[in-house]
Amino acid sequence: MGNKIPPYLLNPGVGRNGSVKLQGAKLSFLDKTILNAATAVKSIYLQEENATKENPVQKINPDVKLFSLIFLVVVISIINNLVAQIIVTAVILIFYIVSRIRVFEVYRKIFFLAFMFGFVVVFPASLNIITQGEIVFNLISLDKPLRFWIYYIPQDIGFTLNGFHVVFMVFLRVLNSVSLALLIIYTTSFPAFIKSFRIFRVPDTFLMIITLAYKYIIILSRTIEETYFALKSRLSGNIKNSNIRRLIGGRIYFIFKRSMIIYEGTYYAMVSRGYQGKVMIHSPKHFTVIDFITLIIVIAFGIGIILI
Amino acid sequence: MFYQTDYSYIYGFSVSNIDISDFLKVIMHIPDGYLSPQTYIPLIGIFVGVAAVSVKKVKKEVSARDIPYLGMAAAFSFIIMMFNLPVPGGTTGHAVGSAVIAILFGPWAATIAVSVALIIQALIFGDGGITAIGANCFNMAVFMSFVAYYIFKLLGKRSAGNKRIFFSAFISGYLSLVMTSILAAVEFGIQPLIASDNYGKALYCPYDLSIAIPAMAIEHLLIFGIIEGIITAIIVSYFLRNEPGLIYAFRKGGKNDNE
Repeated sequence: MGNKIPPYLLNPGVGRNGSVKLQGAKLSFLDKTILNAATAVKSIYLQEENATKENPVQKINPDVKLFSLIFLVVVISIINNLVAQIIVTAVILIFYIVSRIRVFEVYRKIFFLAFMFGFVVVFPASLNIITQGEIVFNLISLDKPLRFWIYYIPQDIGFTLNGFHVVFMVFLRVLNSVSLALLIIYTTSFPAFIKSFRIFRVPDTFLMIITLAYKYIIILSRTIEETYFALKSRLSGNIKNSNIRRLIGGRIYFIFKRSMIIYEGTYYAMVSRGYQGKVMIHSPKHFTVIDFITLIIVIAFGIGIILI
Repeated sequence: MFYQTDYSYIYGFSVSNIDISDFLKVIMHIPDGYLSPQTYIPLIGIFVGVAAVSVKKVKKEVSARDIPYLGMAAAFSFIIMMFNLPVPGGTTGHAVGSAVIAILFGPWAATIAVSVALIIQALIFGDGGITAIGANCFNMAVFMSFVAYYIFKLLGKRSAGNKRIFFSAFISGYLSLVMTSILAAVEFGIQPLIASDNYGKALYCPYDLSIAIPAMAIEHLLIFGIIEGIITAIIVSYFLRNEPGLIYAFRKGGKNDNE
């Protein structure tokens, strides 16, 4: 029996007018949007899943965890000693293991963020063009130093010890800050964590907005995912740029309208429960002995790290 | 199959899925470690002040609906960054979104909406630092929103044709992002001046103003600003054609009437 399927359906990459590359490139925006929505949903679910696991860090009061996060992130930002930063890295890693978080999966993300934010951008600073100092590895030697406008290029261009120090310091600061923030977030329910911002006198209204936005994001991300999957299954061949623009504009408009409906619904639900324009968030969790001990340990650790 | 789908992202992180705008994220979402306390503490203070005023202003406009309204605006602000657009070279790009949000919701609501989106991004996704939250919110939520809104108000009269409004929205998105990038570059560039050790070694961002400003300005003038402008223009034009009443900058009555 002969194959009756049209050739353009058998060839995955060819559009109706045969422009293979153009089709893939143009439709990749669909994949990327689905990816963004899926990543958001995945991160939120991963966070919720980890936050509800029974472990020693999860049991600590969210207020203590928030204070510890802010205090230690400030400490990380002011210490300029590589050894002290490495100790912080090691201690955070131990807490990840104790918390039974999926260390490999989370650290893959942390290392990528630290690499992008803390290494790629800063790496050129290891050259003597940016950071002065004794050259430890010479790259190029010019005939003479160059000077144009406000820029000066020395005769010998290479990596300096001071430069490496700057790069690794920024890299470790980013690594430690991101890993600490994610450690706290992955061991605390997000709404409880947001409530704990009251210790810094953040108004309840603002905290309520964050909590609501967080819930809306989950709903809307899933809506985007479903809409784009449906869209993708219906698109083939070449699409004109003007159609792509209309298509994206239309999806955003749809999401906006959907957001308005959700917002109206939320408002009426709040009114039906007695909301009159003022919110008061209650934090029922009380301090325990473990919370006090944690607080003392964190403060002592922070001061100790500064003194190294 | 018409088009091959890569589901790997659902199970794990894939570097191959990075697009051109992810580099914008690296630059615009300032991480921890780049700014000294002399910079991030005052910026947190300024942001807190502006946020307090913004909540009051929005409460005046939408009364008791302020909380769900701003929650929705914040979620929409977060969501808008997910929409990718094909850009020349086969890659895709997305917008920061502050300009669109400012035009659709007004600058005060945009300040809160974009800030909340940035705070959630920093806490859950690790995009942008905890100490730099004040700086990021000030740059992208306060400065960019106000610049975008007033540029649009200046150029895009409601009575003007759709082309003029498309152009105004483009310029609003383009210029607001370029100016915000220069502001971020100044914050980076002053670090070697205000926070160096006794031997002149930078303790935070190592690039001075002569490097930070051209590096940030050129890429935003030539690439990211254009993407922001196009996305802003597409969205505003679509809203204008279908439901112009939703655009805050065009809303009739009071100080926002532009006709």
